[in-house]
Amino acid sequence: MEDVKSYIESGILELYVLGQLTAQENSEVEAMAAQHPEVKAEISAIEVAMESYAMENSVAASAELEAKILAQFRDHTAHSPKVVPLYDQETEIRVKVLRYALVACIALLVVCVATLYSLNNKLNTAHEQIASLSAAKEQFARTTSKLEFERAGMENRIAMTESDEWATVKLAGVKETPDAKMLVYWNKRNKNILINYAAIKLPAPGKAHEYQLWALVDGKPVSLGVFGTDESAKEAVKSMDAIDHAQAFAVTIEPLGGSVNPTMEKMVVMGTI
Amino acid sequence: MATTKKIALAEDELVSALKNQETVAIKALYDMYSGALLGVISRIVLQHEVAEDLLQETFVKIWNSAGSYEPSKGRLFTWMMNIARNLAIDKLRSKDFKNSNKNQDLENNVDFINAQQEVNFNADTLGIKDLVAGMRPDYQEVLDRIYFKGCTHVEAAEELNIPLGTVKTRVRMAILELRKKFN
Repeated sequence: MEDVKSYIESGILELYVLGQLTAQENSEVEAMAAQHPEVKAEISAIEVAMESYAMENSVAASAELEAKILAQFRDHTAHSPKVVPLYDQETEIRVKVLRYALVACIALLVVCVATLYSLNNKLNTAHEQIASLSAAKEQFARTTSKLEFERAGMENRIAMTESDEWATVKLAGVKETPDAKMLVYWNKRNKNILINYAAIKLPAPGKAHEYQLWALVDGKPVSLGVFGTDESAKEAVKSMDAIDHAQAFAVTIEPLGGSVNPTMEKMVVMGTI
Repeated sequence: MATTKKIALAEDELVSALKNQETVAIKALYDMYSGALLGVISRIVLQHEVAEDLLQETFVKIWNSAGSYEPSKGRLFTWMMNIARNLAIDKLRSKDFKNSNKNQDLENNVDFINAQQEVNFNADTLGIKDLVAGMRPDYQEVLDRIYFKGCTHVEAAEELNIPLGTVKTRVRMAILELRKKFN
């Protein structure tokens, strides 16, 4: 009991009421108050005295302060329940909108990919068509140039036939090449020799060989030059070496560049004048 | 102003309304205690405008920390008074307040010196020191520092150059005098 009395008289309870103690000291006082009713009673007495003292020394607030302070709490309580759901709703709407936007984006992406794929296919088809068209065009151009080549040859052949200047020598196939034939044109004045691819039908010489034209002069063969197939020829009409007089013409197949003497077993056509 | 009718509630009703965050609690608290709380604040911060701002802050803090008030540990007013005092002391000690109120601080000191010398007590600060003025000066100077100036009891002991135990005793004696007058 003495302890409690001296505890009360120490002045710690007054400091407790005045909020002057540390948290730990506060807990100690509260423990004491819970344990000893007279401590609790003393605290109450101090509190009542301080409260009465404060009441006695009230200071009137200005008239507008009450409205100002209370308005703040009205606002506080009036707004908070409304503001929260409003905010939530807004957020929800935004989330919804964003979700729709996401779905729309994905749909757009799918459409884009599909379109891209289809366009790519079309592009490939177009490329193929271009390739085939270009092949067809090349083929056509080849045909045209061949036709042009043949036409030039035919024109020349007609001109030769109509002219008196040129003698036409017919060369016919030999035993091994019965289908082969060829014409050789020989100018009567300047003794020039011309051949015309439009008037040549000879067996293919092969890649490593070409044709060689010979004139038979007094029983001896004289080379009048070599010529290739119509595939390699630039002009339909080719000029060969001139010869003053001859009794016959013949064509043999010789290695590229020709031979000094004709390979007789490779003779394909021959014709006498 | 919606209503001019004063509201008074019994303390337990007031506490439960406050803890339930019912605005009626604030209205009742304002009607019952705004003057007393403003009185507490005004002793620490003399400028009336600043004191009223602090009263507003006090009510906000009372409202926001209502959950932490435990009736078993003391009276509601004690709890509110300490909130008000702490806000006022924080303001008094804040740097911006000190800087902008050097003149007021000087005035305070003049008052304080007057009180110490027991020269005719300057009671024009709303007459609130009358009651303490009749008190023994050595009790009064301790209560003055702790209750009016926002000192801690440790600071009061240092300022007055007396032992901590003596400060405690004198606070007790000063409050006992108050109790004699009020209880």
